[in-house]
Amino acid sequence: MVDASSQPLIETQNLVKKFGSFTALNGVSLKVFPGEVHALLGDNGAGKSTLIKALSGVHQPTSGKIFVEGKETRFNSPRDASGVGIGTVYQDLALNSLTSVTRNFFLGREMKFGKGPFGILKMKEMHEIAINEMAKIGIKIEDPEQPVGTMSGGQRQTLAIARAIYFGAKVLILDEPTSALGQLQQMEVLKTIKKVQQLGHIAIILITHNEIHARLIADRYTFISLGEVIGSGTSKDLESDDIRRLMAGGAKVGDLAKELA
Amino acid sequence: MTSELSRQEADRHRPKGGLRSIISRPEIGPIGVMLLLFGMLGYFSIPAAETTWNPFAGEGFNALGIRNNLRVISQLGIIALGAGLLIIAGEFDLSIGSMIGFAGACMAMTLRWGFSIILPYLSFEGGAHLEFYTLLHIPDVSPSLAIFITLCFTLTFGWIQGFIIVRSGLPSFIVTLGGLFFLRGLTEVSLRSFNHRPDQSKGATTVTEIPDLKNVINLPGHGEMEREAAKYLPEADLISIVKGLPADTITEITERLEYTFQRVAEAKTDLMVAKGVKPLERALENALESNNEFMVKTIQDKIANFKIDPVVPKSVTEVDIARAYIDTISTVQPIADFFGGNILESLFDWLYFPIDWNTNNFGNQFAPGLYSCVMIWVILSLVCYIVLSKTQVGNWIYSTGGNLSAAQANGVPTNKVKISLFVFSAFCATLFATCQVFEVNTSDAAKGNLKELEAIAAAVIGGIVMTGGFGTVLGIIVGAFIFGLAKEAFFYIPGIDGSFYRVFLGFVIIASALLNENIRKRIMGNI
Repeated sequence: MVDASSQPLIETQNLVKKFGSFTALNGVSLKVFPGEVHALLGDNGAGKSTLIKALSGVHQPTSGKIFVEGKETRFNSPRDASGVGIGTVYQDLALNSLTSVTRNFFLGREMKFGKGPFGILKMKEMHEIAINEMAKIGIKIEDPEQPVGTMSGGQRQTLAIARAIYFGAKVLILDEPTSALGQLQQMEVLKTIKKVQQLGHIAIILITHNEIHARLIADRYTFISLGEVIGSGTSKDLESDDIRRLMAGGAKVGDLAKELA
Repeated sequence: MTSELSRQEADRHRPKGGLRSIISRPEIGPIGVMLLLFGMLGYFSIPAAETTWNPFAGEGFNALGIRNNLRVISQLGIIALGAGLLIIAGEFDLSIGSMIGFAGACMAMTLRWGFSIILPYLSFEGGAHLEFYTLLHIPDVSPSLAIFITLCFTLTFGWIQGFIIVRSGLPSFIVTLGGLFFLRGLTEVSLRSFNHRPDQSKGATTVTEIPDLKNVINLPGHGEMEREAAKYLPEADLISIVKGLPADTITEITERLEYTFQRVAEAKTDLMVAKGVKPLERALENALESNNEFMVKTIQDKIANFKIDPVVPKSVTEVDIARAYIDTISTVQPIADFFGGNILESLFDWLYFPIDWNTNNFGNQFAPGLYSCVMIWVILSLVCYIVLSKTQVGNWIYSTGGNLSAAQANGVPTNKVKISLFVFSAFCATLFATCQVFEVNTSDAAKGNLKELEAIAAAVIGGIVMTGGFGTVLGIIVGAFIFGLAKEAFFYIPGIDGSFYRVFLGFVIIASALLNENIRKRIMGNI
């Protein structure tokens, strides 16, 4: 993959976020490199969501620094974050099931003739772009007029990812992309992520519960527990047992089968 | 193993054939009902004496029938567009009907009494009491100014409703229900307090005596006056008007009048023949019943030889020419004519002379044209179609209703979209009221009652899903047609109460809602 000496696309240093007396993040540092899948692992309530919300501009950190391509940056709104190329694909994907693929792909950023919101849509061009961009990461769509509701979960995920990339995302944050999907569709999504990784210039932050999925595609791991980083490393450094132990927040997970017996 | 792998998710859906794909289109149900109602209106309105398979022979599709039916349909269509677009964006407006009443009263009162802005203030000279300062007074309000003033009030009210809904997050049902009562009450209160002469203490809840603005003409030598008044000027004045006309205009009018008088005379003759023959036919029936062969033969002879002198057509006088000429003078109030006048007048003239189709039982021209509101509906539908299907705003409206949080996450200004549509809904109600006021030159506090529900019903029948995000302008148009046609068609069914159309519409509304929900679920992937 990419050697660690190259510049990280996004880096956090000692990120702290407090909600009143509650400390959600307590000095989190991580580096994400282009062309890498960076798996962010941790149990429920570990602070993963707070971390990605700080990275996507939804929350402002209490202290600590965020660097994008080496420059210190402050996000006051999600718009600031997407402006510097941080694209977040949330679990609900922000898709409107009732309208077509193209209308969703360009939702809020439609191409049109003339200025102002009453500009006429360039439907033909938008159809082509939507089909091509989705094909680039591995999903062939026959009919761009097809309502999103009729697509499979994996296809929808691909649509949301392709959209984020097309609109300039250099850092792609994927929030539990495989949860709530069937086995086959999970594989579809993993393939899509692999394709994005192979594009080479995009850094992917993958939040997941599923260690198997993480092992299949992640290049680098960061484990979070109770708002702190409890372990990190590349896929080569870590053993399967380490990963399982770290995911559970550092506690020793015994033989589950024995405990249940 | 290989055969299982090659089986795809898509294989589980039965492929759609030609007929199946037509039947499963969402518009097919409403369009079917519309065609059924067209047929019903046609056949039931055929007069009892005639037997024909042509539905266009019925009263529903003669010139006057078309004029009246299209008026009902297009009036409903105008407000259904406002209501429908708003439902697509996920909200709805119950204040449309009251807004119609309010807009009509506001417009009629400013046209009748003028417009002023009066500021009250507290005065302490000679004891504390309220004084009134007249900031602005316009005694003569033109139609365009009246429309402008009304729009200022209605659009502001629409904006306020939208603002409250998006800011508070309250359901639009409650806020606009409040608007429904507020506006209807305000209309009644305003009419009673302002709609009276200085010597009267209380006004009526109707505004009358507004001049027929769309028919005000500038008659040479007489100045501006209403068309009807001009026609009944002293005959000497009328004849002097004809003297000033160019020769070919006179020839043209004379030709047309001769045609009309000929038709009237023929109609009279037919009527007299019918009157003379009818008693004979009744006698013939009796004779047939009693088997009196001699009488049967005698009466049959009498019917066969029944003759009457044809009525001689009236000759064209100069006064007739003057009155016909006055009808052709164009109005000096084009705005009033635009909303309340007729359209396609030359087409309907042509259908009478020379085509002889647009002719009533007395030989005169039946319908002068279509109501202007038809044109306004067509324009508004076109604009709505382009905006909803072809522009960026259209995509915003669909996504606001389809998935609000997704729309917001993608930077769609959903609050602006919703507020604008509340304003648009108020605008449609104002258009409805404008057409009505300039058509009939009166207004009433009860105008527009229940129209909000009719508009919503038309939208639902046309395939708009109540939860938002789904529907087309074509659907709304079809919905308005179904509603309007049902009203008329049931009126003609013999031996049935006219209100059965409501029973029928009740069924149609529920059936449409079920169908819409089914289509929505299919698209959402729940079926």
